[in-house]
Amino acid sequence: MKLFIKNIALVSVLSLMTTMAVAQDDKALDLDSLLKQLEQGQFAQNKQNASREKEFAEKRSEQDSMLRDAKQTRNAALNLSEKLETQFEENEFKLADLNEAMNKRLGSLKELFGVLQQVSGDTKSKFQNSIISAQIPGRAEFLDDLAQSMGSTSKLASIEEIERVWFEMQREMTESGKVTKFTTDVIEAGGNKVSKEVLRVGPFALTANGKYLDYNGTTGSVAELIRQPAGRYGDSAAALQASNGDLVEFGLDPTGGSILKLLVQAPSLKERVEQGGTVGYIILAVGAVGLLIALWRFIVLGIEGAKVNRQLKSTTFKSSNALGRVMKARDDYPQADTEALELHLTEAILGEVPKLGRFLQIIKVMSVVAPLMGLLGTVSGMINTFQAITLFGTGDPKLMAGGISTALVTTVLGLVVAIPMTLLYAMLNTRSKNIVYILQEQAAGVIAERAEAQNSSKA
Amino acid sequence: MIEFLETIRDFTETGGQVLLVIGALIFVMWLMILERAMYVFVTHKQYKAAIIAKWQARDERASWNAEQVRQAMISRVSLKLGAGIPIIQSLVALCPLLGLMGTVTGMIEVFDVMAISGSGNARSMASGVSKATIPTMAGMVGALSGVFASSWLSRTTKSERAKLEDALMMERHR
Repeated sequence: MKLFIKNIALVSVLSLMTTMAVAQDDKALDLDSLLKQLEQGQFAQNKQNASREKEFAEKRSEQDSMLRDAKQTRNAALNLSEKLETQFEENEFKLADLNEAMNKRLGSLKELFGVLQQVSGDTKSKFQNSIISAQIPGRAEFLDDLAQSMGSTSKLASIEEIERVWFEMQREMTESGKVTKFTTDVIEAGGNKVSKEVLRVGPFALTANGKYLDYNGTTGSVAELIRQPAGRYGDSAAALQASNGDLVEFGLDPTGGSILKLLVQAPSLKERVEQGGTVGYIILAVGAVGLLIALWRFIVLGIEGAKVNRQLKSTTFKSSNALGRVMKARDDYPQADTEALELHLTEAILGEVPKLGRFLQIIKVMSVVAPLMGLLGTVSGMINTFQAITLFGTGDPKLMAGGISTALVTTVLGLVVAIPMTLLYAMLNTRSKNIVYILQEQAAGVIAERAEAQNSSKA
Repeated sequence: MIEFLETIRDFTETGGQVLLVIGALIFVMWLMILERAMYVFVTHKQYKAAIIAKWQARDERASWNAEQVRQAMISRVSLKLGAGIPIIQSLVALCPLLGLMGTVTGMIEVFDVMAISGSGNARSMASGVSKATIPTMAGMVGALSGVFASSWLSRTTKSERAKLEDALMMERHR
């Protein structure tokens, strides 16, 4: 194998050497011919150069005349520029004179136009936020154009335009004193655009069908508020819309809608519960379980109490209720003397008591545990708050406030569960205790009454 | 009258919905207390006289049977006398708890306002603070008013039971 590779290498080297020798031979030939060519070429070039020199000499006079022409054009242009410059300066002076004259003639009027521009700018921004614009659209555009044109060009406002600014301001004033109805497109809470009769109360409130509306100045649209204030305010709005000039009480937002807009940001009950997080849901689950147990015990104890009451009145012992089972002790041990009978009764009562108090302790434990779990949620919420503080600092109270309200919601939920649990425990405990008292203090008495009745009937 | 109702309505609105719950609780509590007081002063007197008359009408008051019957009579009277008192006591205990709940819900509102508008505006937080403090006060008032009544009731049941036990005398030696 090695030998084979060696052979191949040898052959290839040999072939390379032969080709190099051939190439050197060609070059030698070419160099000779090149020298010959160079000699011939120099001769031809000399001839060409001579003819070119002759041509240049002939054209020289022509070049001179062209140079003269160019200089003449330059001088003429210089003259013109000088003349124009002086004219420009003269015009400048004239312009200054004229400006001065104009300022003199405008006098106090100039101040007036400045004021007009400022007033139309201010009024435009006022109109944009005013709910009266929902009734009369397009007022702000006119004032905007006027203010801009007066600011950018030297054009003066016409008397019509000045009078219109006055008119619009007067109209705003007049309209803000009125309670009127008009029809416009209203975006409902669902997103549909519906044409409705809208009631406007001065510059303060927009309502339709007992619902408060919000006017958006930038888009010029009227939308129903997603969250409405308390029902009676809605009723007052509906009453005002339905009335014919009578005096009606009306819930008014004197800030012109900003309080109503804040209302939208207040979370609903469901969102509140969601703020409580996992701990909140666990507390609610505990509460639900507690309620179910309490309901079950209510039913059981209610039935048992009714049966015991019936037993107190009837003459036969039924084993379906606690009192009946206890009083069976008399029939089971008819020969027992009073002391033995008391022992048997106590035994029977001790067998009944745990059944009556069953699961009540769990409800009591729940009423104690629920606020503790609320506390747990509070602490974990505060941990989150402090984590936010370590990350973002105390600069933004909004970041911290969100966590704190989350923490407090769990406290509320804990209390919300604990309060009914405490009450339910008290009620259930009273019921079961009452039945136990009847068993402990009245069973023997009932037996005694029964025995006396039998004795007297025998006698 | 309408003005009075409106004043109440404004008060509950500044105090929040918890105040309504506290109001209902206090109302129920005092209804039960008054019912108990009526029972103690009217119905219980009649019932006690009837029981004593029944005991005096017995031909013998010394046997085991008589002892047990006496026990049952006393137990019935004191059961009727004490009915509902534990519930009144737990209602009294619930009043400050509900007040605490109002405090916490009010504080939530304060922090909500802070979350929306920042801490700069103290006036916007005022409604939350009033919702926090008014229910606390109302809960305290309810609890204080109930504490005296409920302790008087429980004292009365005990003393009435003792009086009845004295009235129904056993005859030891004949």
